[in-house]
Amino acid sequence: MKKKISIYICLASFALLFSQCDKKKEEEVTPESSFDKSGMLANIGDNLIIPAYADFKISVDSLKLVTDAFISAPTASSLDDLQASFFRCYSQFQWVSTYEFGPGETEFLRNSFNVFPCDTAEMNGKIAAGNTNFSTVADIDVKGFPALDFLLYGYHLNDAAILSLFTTDPNAGNRKSYLNAIVTELKSKTDIVNAGWSATGGNYISTFKNSTGSDVGSSIGLLVNQLNFDLEILKNARIGIPLGKRSLGVALPEKSEAFYSGLSLELALQHVNNIENIYLGRSRSNNDGLGFDDYLTHINARYGSGSLNEAIKSKLSSAKIKLAAIPGPLSNAVINNASVVDAAYLELQQLVILLKVDMTSALGVSITYVDNDGD
Amino acid sequence: MISSQLLKIRSRLTEQVHIAPLSLFRVLFGLMMFASVIRFWQKGWIDELYVKPEFFFKYYGFEWVQVPGETGVYLLFALVAVSAFFLMLGLFYKFSAIAFFLSFTYTELLDKTNYLNHYYFVSIIALLMIFLPAGNYFSLDVRLGLTKKITHVQRWLIGVIQLQLGFVYFFAGLAKLNYDWLINAQPLRIWLQPHTDLPVIGFLMDKVWIAYFFSWFGAIYDLTIPFFLLNKRTRPYAYIAVIGFHVLTAILFPIGMFPYVMIISTLIFFSEEFHLKVITGIKYALNFFKKKEQEEQRVVKRYKPAFKKILLFFFVSHFIIQVIFPLRFLMYPGNLFWTEQGFRFSWRVMLMEKAGKAFFYVHDPVTNQSGEVMMNNYLTPNQEKMMATQPDMILQYAQFLKKKYEQTGLQNPKITVESYVTLNGKGSQLFINKYVDLTKIHDSFTNKWWILPLNEN
Repeated sequence: MKKKISIYICLASFALLFSQCDKKKEEEVTPESSFDKSGMLANIGDNLIIPAYADFKISVDSLKLVTDAFISAPTASSLDDLQASFFRCYSQFQWVSTYEFGPGETEFLRNSFNVFPCDTAEMNGKIAAGNTNFSTVADIDVKGFPALDFLLYGYHLNDAAILSLFTTDPNAGNRKSYLNAIVTELKSKTDIVNAGWSATGGNYISTFKNSTGSDVGSSIGLLVNQLNFDLEILKNARIGIPLGKRSLGVALPEKSEAFYSGLSLELALQHVNNIENIYLGRSRSNNDGLGFDDYLTHINARYGSGSLNEAIKSKLSSAKIKLAAIPGPLSNAVINNASVVDAAYLELQQLVILLKVDMTSALGVSITYVDNDGD
Repeated sequence: MISSQLLKIRSRLTEQVHIAPLSLFRVLFGLMMFASVIRFWQKGWIDELYVKPEFFFKYYGFEWVQVPGETGVYLLFALVAVSAFFLMLGLFYKFSAIAFFLSFTYTELLDKTNYLNHYYFVSIIALLMIFLPAGNYFSLDVRLGLTKKITHVQRWLIGVIQLQLGFVYFFAGLAKLNYDWLINAQPLRIWLQPHTDLPVIGFLMDKVWIAYFFSWFGAIYDLTIPFFLLNKRTRPYAYIAVIGFHVLTAILFPIGMFPYVMIISTLIFFSEEFHLKVITGIKYALNFFKKKEQEEQRVVKRYKPAFKKILLFFFVSHFIIQVIFPLRFLMYPGNLFWTEQGFRFSWRVMLMEKAGKAFFYVHDPVTNQSGEVMMNNYLTPNQEKMMATQPDMILQYAQFLKKKYEQTGLQNPKITVESYVTLNGKGSQLFINKYVDLTKIHDSFTNKWWILPLNEN
């Protein structure tokens, strides 16, 4: 009897609910088969991550050779070579900076290579003292690319003045050792990470491809989290902080990435291109394989009345256009063309929302770096 | 007719039954809580959640609760563990029940970020246990002669725990009776599809019909399971459903101990004979209480509470509050899942997929300049994530930022927030009125007018 009554009550409440639901929903099709997540991971792993690390390694190897040549014979032409090699290397880094998991995370690649702005006073002190040890956490802002940027370009210095710092300056010898130590660390860490990913080395590529879940610590979870983390670095550290977003509108040009060489915008553009490629599952040779775009399309993720994938793709392209519209270098633009920079910043902010809020929610990926209970 | 029914119910509730279900519940509850604390500790969450953060989100009215420093927090959790262990043993029962309730509840009040319905459930059960004679049988207290043995209680004293469990299920079921859950099968459509790589059932997980099936099954299960558990004939099948349902949720969702807590707790619906058998089994295994075994069969010792009226008054008012509290959301306008006004403490478990991102801005009223606040300065990624979708936390953080900026010499800063939230895959939209100066708002139970309405598309 009791059971019957409770069943009646339930049925009645459901009927009541249905009678209120006269909204017509568009027909939604069940996909024929599950989305090929391992296919997407294989594509991103084999066609994006492995080649990006390989390219990065080639550029770092070459940087090491060019650095050795410069140290043994610092001339205007070897400085030129070194600066050019530095830019190639820094550019290639933009294509791997997102992958701060697995071997990259073990070596703290992002924090070892690209914490900016660098602490120039500390660097000068270390050079004067002949101290080339920067293995502690406190040394993250006196090494890597930002330190090279300072060493090779200086502040308001022409090439001749830079060269003299490596030749006639009383600290020239120490400075060369310092330069060598930075590049040596770049090379050793890059070699370790490359070997860690390689199928013939640590074979993290296999781990990456075979972890097909979406929970905390799965490859998709790691990739999505790092994609968002890296995008926020682009929005905040690369653009926002120099623009004065964190200093009540007072521009801080000296906080921009590659401030001394003035290459910030070129690097930022490469960075956003890489984020777009990861999203699309597109290699640098323009082979468009399975990516998050296909995943979102497969599960029919919506954004307002349209598709989430279209919203993200159009935001990616408008962010690129707005970034490209900034007249370089960024350190000038944040003062003289602040509104143009601000427009790019707003696009990046909207991109953060689409990727961090909408995409992660649609994919069921948790934005977190530690495992936790929920309900 | 009706009055005879009532009399029947009354006589059933006041009937003397064996105390075994209560005492076994005490043992199992203590054991589970002890295991939970050890698990929490061993996963490093004490450090992650209560040592690392610089800022903690307080509950309204409990702003005085403070994190007692690193050593203090560990001592607090140690107290929770020890009192849970004593609860299991039935040693100094009243003290350990009170100590467990207070210490556990205090840890939950430390940071609103970590609110979980199942922690609330634990606090409630612990509170009820204080007033129940669960330590007067099959306990060290009795064994050591610290308290007198009781073998029989009126049925309603066991019913208190059963009713509380029934409330959890029933209100969780009621909460599922909404448009998104039943008609759109959301959020399960979002939550199930990542699980296509599960063995055996994986291929089903991105089928739309399976999301509907799970949604409807879940709603019907929650609404009806207490009744099926109460009924002697349906009980075994209902318990199989309990196990199946909770094991499935444990596999699919990161909800920690909750499924196991429910599976173990619902054992209390089983008969006294069942519980006695289990207890006898445990005693045999422990080879501990053996010598008193014979006398137990004969002597019936009834529970005579000293202040029965007060006890009754406490339980009745507790359950009245338990009915009213989950329904308080009816006093607020707007979509409950969107505004979360009256959302917590209402058994709304795994109901919505909500994610957001908040950008805070600080304005200097003198220079009229403004800037964005660096989020990672004071919040952990987890706190930031949880705050972004919960208006009262956003407000609390804005007030904290005001203080921080005033310490740096910026007087009367204006703090605004631009936050985007997505609910059940509807597409992110602006959540809080981005022009409102949050430093001028004071949190209260009145309607939060500064939350923008949800655009349902």
